[in-house]
Amino acid sequence: MAAACANRRAGILGGSALIFVTVGSLFPFDRLTRTMDNWAYLHPNEKVIAQVGGSEYEPKHMEWVSKISPGEFRARVKDASVIVAHAGMGTIITAVENGRPIVLLPRRAALAEHTTDHQLHTANWLKDRPGIFVCRAENDLDSMIAKATTAAASEKWSISNAAPLEMTERIRQFIASAPQRSGWRGFLLRS
Amino acid sequence: MGPEKVMGPEKVRRKILAISSGGGHWVQLCRLRAAFCDCDVVYASVDPIYAEDVPGQRLYIVCNATRRDKFALPVLVAQLFLILLRERPEVVVTTGAAPALIALALAKLVFRSRTIWIDSIANCEHLSTSGALARKFSDAWLTQWPQLARTDGPEYWGAVL
Repeated sequence: MAAACANRRAGILGGSALIFVTVGSLFPFDRLTRTMDNWAYLHPNEKVIAQVGGSEYEPKHMEWVSKISPGEFRARVKDASVIVAHAGMGTIITAVENGRPIVLLPRRAALAEHTTDHQLHTANWLKDRPGIFVCRAENDLDSMIAKATTAAASEKWSISNAAPLEMTERIRQFIASAPQRSGWRGFLLRS
Repeated sequence: MGPEKVMGPEKVRRKILAISSGGGHWVQLCRLRAAFCDCDVVYASVDPIYAEDVPGQRLYIVCNATRRDKFALPVLVAQLFLILLRERPEVVVTTGAAPALIALALAKLVFRSRTIWIDSIANCEHLSTSGALARKFSDAWLTQWPQLARTDGPEYWGAVL
């Protein structure tokens, strides 16, 4: 059992994924993990790789890891044709930076999947953006993945990996205007 | 240009601490790196794997105390205090969440740093709980949503996306 698990984990380092499922680094998300495991079972010809965080449900029909580094995460996103994820900004930003279509299932506070319903708000804000496909519930996943797969083949979009210059410039100037510390007298800055 | 000019003023580069918790908070902080280009910047977050996002730069790791996890709080406060004592940053900038709020409070109240709170772009309907509390400890108190900006704060300077 452990060996099979290790093989599956080893498998994630090679090959090219079609569907990359990710629930983020902070909380488990069994609803998404379980639904996508069933999806993988029903679609044996699709390759599915999942990063499941602390999810209690252990996938049986897709390759999975609990946690990966940011570099490996970016590599997984680049390799994938479609991302399926919670509505976390880190995942969404990485997907759009790399021009990959993303299917979102927002976490819900009522199901103890997050502390607040901000993922519903995020998903609602982004639902009309090109390349972003929002599920109202887990039973929308199949149709949204189909839409995203079609989009992946026909459309190209991506954004830069830095914030707009106007914003970074304003922060840079604010930092430059801060009083300087000098020696130990500057230990407690007077501002 | 003579060597005396190269030496210039005693110190011009500001020391800054850029801190956030994990996931989207960290990704948003990384998108702001250009704003720190003329500073001595040290980073702090909750997982050592983030070091590969800031190659060649120092990254402190602090314990990931969420608002629901009260036991980790004293450890976190001690870690942050030691980082601030060692680095004495002139500016602390953060994209949230709870651990960064405590860093901001310590930096402002004890070390008198300039502080910048940038509420996560995920909070598009109202400010986060940490973000609302950050008001008292922020010199720049920012939302990434124009509709959440108010004349008495928070301010909108743009969004990382």
